[in-house]
Amino acid sequence: MGEALYFAASTMNEAMKLLGQYGKKAVILAGGTDLVPRINTYGLKPDVLIYVGKLGLDYIKEEKGRMVIGAATPMARIAGSKLVVRKAAALAEAAGQAGTAAVRTTGTIGGNVANASPAADLATPLLVLDADLALVSQKKKRTVPLKDFFKGPGMTILQPGEMIKEISFPIPKGRTAYVKLGRRKALTLSVVNAAVRLEVNRKKCQEARIAVGSVAPTPLRCPKAEGMLKDQEVSKDLILQCASEAMAASSPIDDQRASAWYRKKAGTAVVARALAKAAGLETD
Amino acid sequence: MQYPLTFRLNGLPVETMAKATETLLDVLREKLGVVSPKRGCDTGECGTCTVILDGEPVRACLTIALTVEGKKVETLEGLTQDGKLHPLQQAFHEHYAAQCGFCTPGMVMSAKALLGKRPKPGREEIVEALSGNLCRCGCYNEIVEAVEAVALGRRKE
Repeated sequence: MGEALYFAASTMNEAMKLLGQYGKKAVILAGGTDLVPRINTYGLKPDVLIYVGKLGLDYIKEEKGRMVIGAATPMARIAGSKLVVRKAAALAEAAGQAGTAAVRTTGTIGGNVANASPAADLATPLLVLDADLALVSQKKKRTVPLKDFFKGPGMTILQPGEMIKEISFPIPKGRTAYVKLGRRKALTLSVVNAAVRLEVNRKKCQEARIAVGSVAPTPLRCPKAEGMLKDQEVSKDLILQCASEAMAASSPIDDQRASAWYRKKAGTAVVARALAKAAGLETD
Repeated sequence: MQYPLTFRLNGLPVETMAKATETLLDVLREKLGVVSPKRGCDTGECGTCTVILDGEPVRACLTIALTVEGKKVETLEGLTQDGKLHPLQQAFHEHYAAQCGFCTPGMVMSAKALLGKRPKPGREEIVEALSGNLCRCGCYNEIVEAVEAVALGRRKE
């Protein structure tokens, strides 16, 4: 094919039909903040662009004990949503630290997840929130836990013709926290990021979730480290042991942002800080 | 393949054509002769192409042009009215908030988007709002002071 075709789908049906028709040739365009640099600078030549910004997938709502977020909701809206700030602080914080103001206004939650960057800001908070993705195509709908979605850097289980419609998670009972370490404070990709969710009852941890980003081919859940917290009192010592265990499961690489060695060292501190933040403890 | 594209640019309707993969920056600079948004990095890193889309700051270089169909785009060109500088422009001038000037259009538009939502931002909010705009001459302090002066209504006369 020569020059790219463009379609601005105005209904879900139309979008599904176009995605079905063009299959592998179709590239989904939402905010474009990850896609367009690849076109401008890195030689990507899409055959067909299907714009999904007019499908009404820009919403944040509470429904039957779950928070439901439309895939095309910009990160700035998530960061500024009182509902998200109050009930899933880690997600709001991560959304507020992604890219920069003029990227967050357009870059979407669905795009951040679908691009499957190991460093994706929203992936770790969504992992600890036990988020599910509602995937739709012309032929079927399915719900997939986010933990089963990523396959590698830029790789997911999304089939040709399939797109993310919305992301949902149970409203957490406990506290969530997100900590990001970048090369600088603004407009930076994570060297390491970590998200935590802790549910503490009578000083004992009932449920724990830990996820780390930018230290493995995909954002990583850390079940072993989570297990260490179960039914325990969350102390500073336990936090440090737990953070070491979380990083033991990682397999970081050397790249332009940091060395693998540094990521392991710094990652332990980042996970520990996230745990302390969620537990309401002071950090060193 | 070219597609028709209509939107409002600085209050006036424009009609043009764009390819699927052309960005708003391509269309503004190459087709409409609106050259205040600069082409710096073309990957969203530098901020000099920042324009305001329906009240929000966006990177023109990351925005597929056809997605602005029916929307309102503001660039620096729309700020000067009847030959009179906008308060932000006047403040940048008075605070020596530019050396080479390459980042200035993006800085001013990011600042304008902030003031549109938060008329009286504090210094930290200003720094945060401008943190995605790079200035290699290093005028950050003067730039922040200029925006602060407008926010506090104490622009030097």
